[in-house]
This record gives sequence, structure tokens and C-alpha cells, in this order.
Amino acid sequence: MGADQSTVRAVITQFLARAEKSHDELTDETPLFGDGLGLDSLEAAELSAMLEDEFGSDPFSAGGEMPDTVGDIQAFYEAASTA
Amino acid sequence: MTAAEQPRVALITGGSKGLGAGLVDAFLDAGYRVATCSRSKTDTVRAWEEDPRIDGRFHFMAADVSDRDDAERFVKDAAGRWGQIDVLVNNAGVAREGVIALFGDDALDQVVDLNIKGTVYVTRAASRVMLAKRSGSIVNISSIVGLSGYRGLSVYAATKAALDGFTRSLARELGSRGITVNSVAPGYLRTEMSHGLDPQQMVQITRRTPMGRLGEPQDVARAILFLTDPTNRYITGQVLVVDGGLTC
Repeated sequence: MGADQSTVRAVITQFLARAEKSHDELTDETPLFGDGLGLDSLEAAELSAMLEDEFGSDPFSAGGEMPDTVGDIQAFYEAASTA
Repeated sequence: MTAAEQPRVALITGGSKGLGAGLVDAFLDAGYRVATCSRSKTDTVRAWEEDPRIDGRFHFMAADVSDRDDAERFVKDAAGRWGQIDVLVNNAGVAREGVIALFGDDALDQVVDLNIKGTVYVTRAASRVMLAKRSGSIVNISSIVGLSGYRGLSVYAATKAALDGFTRSLARELGSRGITVNSVAPGYLRTEMSHGLDPQQMVQITRRTPMGRLGEPQDVARAILFLTDPTNRYITGQVLVVDGGLTC
């Protein structure tokens, strides 16, 4: 499956549902941690694993800068697709 | 057969001989799809590869799990092949005998790199697959010498005690995600790993063992199959000793 905006957000939404974390609407600016989605370290690992399972790679374990927002995750896949 | 009815998948490191081969046999007999690895292929592995009864349920990869890239390649290959990892048995390990005052650097690196770092590399990769599915069972093969110590095996014992700490921490870390983590601590087995013991030591150990014999790989396999059974959703963070009562 290609990592376009809707599919990336679908994986994040799926993760939030099973983690029983509610959030109104995901935007590029939605923070992953703190007052945003409020992910803890294990939740970040779980989301990372789900993204890798879906797309074959993920921005949390790629060795680059850690994503802070939903948009950072999307940008990782956009950068990968144009590389 | 639907995806849900596919046989469960077990990864067993170091499965080409000794205890590991016994574990591979036991999981194949239990109907699992089994992926194993070791640095080189043995006749035992070739026999599995040619056995039509387990066609499609066995996969071997030449890999040294003390090498980070090899370890990750082994896990990703199995996950890519079968789409899931239900069970991970961290069996690969090495014992080097020697009193600490004369213990060589190469032996030290070999034991630590394989027994601890190799286990961590494989577990790290496999835990990601299990996290994505929110399901899985991990068993680390430790040893009674990690609990009671043994003269001349101090470095090996230290690595096995480390695995028990790894087990307890991971159980706490991954329990909320449906993943159990336990150690199985065998006593002295009738495998190549025990061949470093001299005949007098073997006789002494047998005499002190309430069950009156050395252990067999199948004795250990039964404990692991119990801990990794899909109905076990509550036993985690434990060290199950399988030693014929030697340390009771």
C-alpha cells in the first residue's frame, strides 16, 4: 500500500482506536506527544511497528530525526517516495 | 485454510544442533511453522529441508545473531515469509569454560556478544512484529548456572542471569500489549553444550539430581510449549527451572 496522506492517517487512526486514545481530527500540526496525541514511549514504539508493518519502513526507527507531529510522519514517507 | 487458521509461527535461534534442534523438532511436531538459524547448516537442518511431511513449515537461514544485521535479517525474513511471529525462543548461546583470572578477551566477547547482544538484537526486531499484532510469546533460554553459579563458568553464568533480568523487564514492558516473556532455565542436558564437563562432574551431577538423569531437549521443549501455548495469557516474567530437581 502506498503511503499517501490518507493511508498514513488511517494507520494512525487505527492505532489510536486500539490504544483507546481519542482525538478529534488529525492535522499535519497535531503533536504526537504531550498535549497532542499524548503518546508515551511504548505507544510510540507500537505506532512505529504498525507503520513499518504497513509500509515497510517507519520514521521512528529509521535513524533520522524523530517525528514530532503527524505531518512529520507524512513527510518521512513523501521524502522516501521521491528519493 | 484461512489466514486465521494458518499454523502458528515460531522463531528459534540456534536450532541446528543440541537443545535448539530438539526445540525445532518439538515445535514442528506441534504443528508450528518454524524458522531457525545458525552460523552454518548441519545434517539435521538438511534432513528437515528434505522432509516432505514439513514442507512449507520449515525455514533455515545461515545467520550469526551476534551480528546485528544478521539478527534483523533473520527476523524480517521470517516475518515477511509468513506475516507473523507468534513465538520467539532465544536459544542461541555459547559457553566458554575458564577461571576468570585467565579468561581471554576473545572468549569474553564471544559469550557476551552472542548470549546477551544477540538475544537483544533478535528480540528487538521480533518485538516490533509482535507489537504490531499485539500478540506473542517470548522465551529466553537461560540456565540454572545463572541462578546458582558454577565454578569455571562465571561469564556464561553472568550472561544467563542477565537474560533473566531481561525477561522480567520485558514482561513488564510488553505485558500490556498481550506479549508474554519468560525464561526457561535448563539444568545439565545430554547435549553438546554439556560436553565441557568432565565425566566425573557428569556423574556427580546425575547423582545429585532427584530424577536421576541428565535432561533431554524434549524435557525443555515441553516447558516452552506450555509457556508459549496461546491459552497462556497470564504467566509472564518467570524463570521456569527444568533441571530434574537438581536445584530444588
